[in-house]
Amino acid sequence: MAESLFISDLHLSAERPTALRLFLRFLRERAVQAERLYILGDLFDAWIGDDDRETPAAEVIAGLRELTDAGVGVLLQRGNRDFLLGRRFCHATGCCLLTDPARIDLYGAPTLLMHGDLLCSDDHDYQRVRRRLRNPFVQWLFLCKSLDRRRAMAADYRRRSGEAMATKSADLMDVNDHTVRDYMLRHTVARLIHGHTHRPAVHRLDLDGLTAKRIVLGDWDDTTAPYLEASPTGCTPSSFPAPGTLYPPAL
Amino acid sequence: MVTLKTAYGDIVLELDAEHAPKTVENFLDYVREGFYDGTVFHRVIKGFMIQGGGFRPGMIPKQTRDAIENEAKNGLKNTAGAVAMARTMQPHSATAQFFINVSDNAFLDHPGQDGWGYCVFGRVVEGMEVVDRIKTVATGSRHGHQDVPVDDVVIEQAVIND
Repeated sequence: MAESLFISDLHLSAERPTALRLFLRFLRERAVQAERLYILGDLFDAWIGDDDRETPAAEVIAGLRELTDAGVGVLLQRGNRDFLLGRRFCHATGCCLLTDPARIDLYGAPTLLMHGDLLCSDDHDYQRVRRRLRNPFVQWLFLCKSLDRRRAMAADYRRRSGEAMATKSADLMDVNDHTVRDYMLRHTVARLIHGHTHRPAVHRLDLDGLTAKRIVLGDWDDTTAPYLEASPTGCTPSSFPAPGTLYPPAL
Repeated sequence: MVTLKTAYGDIVLELDAEHAPKTVENFLDYVREGFYDGTVFHRVIKGFMIQGGGFRPGMIPKQTRDAIENEAKNGLKNTAGAVAMARTMQPHSATAQFFINVSDNAFLDHPGQDGWGYCVFGRVVEGMEVVDRIKTVATGSRHGHQDVPVDDVVIEQAVIND
């Protein structure tokens, strides 16, 4: 069936086994019916290198491998949490890495895919940290350390980033409208799909007289998996499990 | 009254617009537009309920209109033969799917387990033996859903009879 699914911001971690089970179910029961699955960043809450094969890495790799073996194309964008996902992960899972931004042809409509953190340009502190963390030399230095050391460093980084976020205003952590326009005009698209902000919505905007759409994907929790279905007829936000297949609950 | 025509026979529902006005209107809107024609009872649990009105055979979901307000606080009870709206875990999320209780399910009555419960809006007045036949069909996991009849139980047509 000509259908592509988009997800982001699952933030899978060893601490959230229920969310991991939901993701594996989503792959086996929903994604397998689609032609392609796009993961637009932050699949993991942290990624310290492709050599990490502990929970949830091992389970996710096996689940994605099963899906790609079944013939579903999986395209993966790195997020601000799992920006170290690399070629070995892709080789193990059969996923293809996407750049950020990535311009694709989605059933005839040029569409820009981004994780979304690049759009939050008002947060200068974050953008500075981002530039440093994406520096290949900084990444190489990090990857040279032992897994235990990296794990400790990542935990420390997350703690500090959590503290920093607590003091930032909500506006600062949302996208900058000018930046959105810039990206869309530069890539000549009338549709942008991104995650990161955890503010799922479909925004309409005027782009030099053209009505454009910015679709923001939702973040996952332990019970609900929001995703976007795209087909030749358009894009529809949906969620897994499908409504009405569990409720009313049987005793 | 609304008649659901199935291969197993007709099920006649009497709707209670007095106690569940918005829910009944919503249900009738779907009936009028032919929404239920060709949908299936996709979730059948003997001893609990039979649920349908949202999927075509093959567990293909149908596009619904917006969700409606939950009118479960209307005093009507989820007893055997009572028809109520299915929904997601969100209280005000019912759209088209409904279910027919095949046993007394007091735990679904307002306030239920989640502070809202499931809104009863009618009852089966004819064809309960049809419901009883449907509830015993063989079920299994299909397309990732549980308790799906192995052979489709199709609602061929839903019609309003005065």
